[in-house]
Amino acid sequence: MPSEKFFVKEDLYNKLEELSKEFEIIGPRELPNKGIFYQSLKNTRDLYLGEGFAIEPIKRFFLKPSEWIFDERFRENKNILEGIPLPADKRIIISVRPCETRGLTLLDKVFDSDYKDNFYINNRKRTIIIGLACNKPAKNCFCTSMGGSPIESRGMDVLIFDMDRGLIAEILTDRGRELFASIGEGLNEGQRRLLKEDKEKKKDLVEKKLSPPEGKELDKIFESDYWEDVSRPCIGCGICTYLCPTCHCFDLVDERRKRLRCYDSCSFPDFTLEASGVNPRPTKKERYRQRVFHKFDYFKKNFGENLCVGCGRCIRHCPVKIDIADIVDKVPGLKKE
Amino acid sequence: MIDRIKKKAEELLRTKQVDLIIGYKRAPDGVSVAPVFIDKAEETKELIWDTYCVYNLSNYLKDFRGRKIGIIAKACDARSIIVLLQENQLKRKDIFIIGVECSGIVDEKKLLSISPQTSELGFDERCRSCKPSKPPIYDVLIVQEGQRPQAPRLEKDPYGSVRKSEAKSISEKFKLWQEEFSRCIRCYACRQICPLCYCPRCVADQTQPSWLSRAHSFRGNFTWNVTRAMHLAGRCIDCGECERACPVGIPLRDINKKIEKDVKELFNYEAGLSAEQKALLSCFDKNDPEDFIR
Ligand code: SF4
Ligand code: SF4
Ligand code: SF4
Ligand code: SF4
Repeated sequence: MPSEKFFVKEDLYNKLEELSKEFEIIGPRELPNKGIFYQSLKNTRDLYLGEGFAIEPIKRFFLKPSEWIFDERFRENKNILEGIPLPADKRIIISVRPCETRGLTLLDKVFDSDYKDNFYINNRKRTIIIGLACNKPAKNCFCTSMGGSPIESRGMDVLIFDMDRGLIAEILTDRGRELFASIGEGLNEGQRRLLKEDKEKKKDLVEKKLSPPEGKELDKIFESDYWEDVSRPCIGCGICTYLCPTCHCFDLVDERRKRLRCYDSCSFPDFTLEASGVNPRPTKKERYRQRVFHKFDYFKKNFGENLCVGCGRCIRHCPVKIDIADIVDKVPGLKKE
Repeated sequence: MIDRIKKKAEELLRTKQVDLIIGYKRAPDGVSVAPVFIDKAEETKELIWDTYCVYNLSNYLKDFRGRKIGIIAKACDARSIIVLLQENQLKRKDIFIIGVECSGIVDEKKLLSISPQTSELGFDERCRSCKPSKPPIYDVLIVQEGQRPQAPRLEKDPYGSVRKSEAKSISEKFKLWQEEFSRCIRCYACRQICPLCYCPRCVADQTQPSWLSRAHSFRGNFTWNVTRAMHLAGRCIDCGECERACPVGIPLRDINKKIEKDVKELFNYEAGLSAEQKALLSCFDKNDPEDFIR
């Protein structure tokens, strides 16, 4: 059963200060003229608790942009492989948006299911997540169409609501309860009512909508010229994939006798380039279609959910304003009217 | 203005002078602008022209080699077309340039930023040091009617900010760029959006040998950013697209501008200003300075 607590921002900052002795505190920080970035906070007062959204999602603290996975060296005339030790320090990531944590629960399906990825699982285990419900969704947010919402708590230990006069924390797990044991007080009747009203209000805040197609319907238009039309402006950069809280394709590279796993993107021409020189996805059409199909067809068939949480990052930061929601919404021949 | 652009585009497609028009249309969000590719005369109605037309569309010309293309070009865009012609990346007869007179475009980054400093429409920094308002190359020129707000100019010293950073100590500069490059996510948007980064296989993508580390470390990020900038020496026409595209706000134009200034001072050369000029790296003069070669 979730329990609730009321406290003011000052209490939270003080609590974080205290916790920073035991945990690494990671949270969004506003860099003037650059934007908001999740960073390890040396000074917990730098924590950003406003309405803006971080450019990069928290994905990179779990699936690192580049991770050394093993080391190869000669020792005593022998060539040996050595795994890189897993970090053990405990972390708290705070002020995380609901869609981003939802993104983690989707990554769990890939990296913590039949296949167990030690790096990812270790990062998940050592991290406590404190979310922040959204008061002001951005114009490109469409989480409610993807099964989420500005108040969703899936994947979090605590979810905080910013209520003008103070903060209300919904405590969701034992880890969260332990953390917040000595801060704030339980809700009175009035506060409980306020929270309920606030939740109702926030549910309808998101304006952008799309109707995700059912997987089998997308199948039918795999060969359609639609993909060529919509992908023409795409310049093939890595922004939409690298900034997506759910994209997780990677590449393996050897550097200085170490093996590195780093982000890769289906929008890069060499993503599927084979050693023979053949490329099964030779043009933007096939590459962009792959992005849509992986998110709204293949993943759905494999794991029962769309691989998109509607955070709007890929739309917000695409340098040529490609709008995946609009593209999926307008897929030809699927309208149900 | 837009009516004349539409009329010309419609005529070019109808009379089959071009196969495709590359222009601007309204984005799904209703405010910003997206690139559009039109091959049917009727569809030229979609075209628009306003201060949100930030893209340098000449970046798309390489996608359509061998076809007849009509393109809408601001002054900066036309300069990159000149460089592409100089470098034999395009055939002049294949492109029809609808030049548009421009008084500056908006700074998208400021529009996006969370706590904007001012509420007025901010012109992009690049427009303040833009040389011509008329494209230096075109087949038809659409001039501006009436008065439009004009981006304020930096006539006096376009390199004022470069001089300021040159004056800093090496360790100060290093610290600054270390911080900036540490945010680089190696998405290569700066390369992909650049009309002049057209190598079929970029040095950054090569793995055998691999020239720069793929690890997201300062070393790899630094090598990448310096390589990109140096490869554009004497070629960059300062359309500022790399800086606009960079999702993490690295001030890439500051690097470009520094190199632009060096090229100007050393060789008295500015890229893409006239179609008759040769590319910097393909013209040699025995009076070229060489005292920086050591
Ligand atoms: S961010 Fe935009 S331009 Fe870049 S790959 Fe994605 S869709 Fe294409
Ligand atoms: S596809 Fe776009 S909107 Fe969906 S989760 Fe990824 S970045 Fe967010
Ligand atoms: S999509 Fe927007 S409103 Fe929804 S959870 Fe994410 S940030 Fe909040
Ligand atoms: S666009 Fe920015 S973040 Fe992306 S590779 Fe270039 S400098 Fe790095």
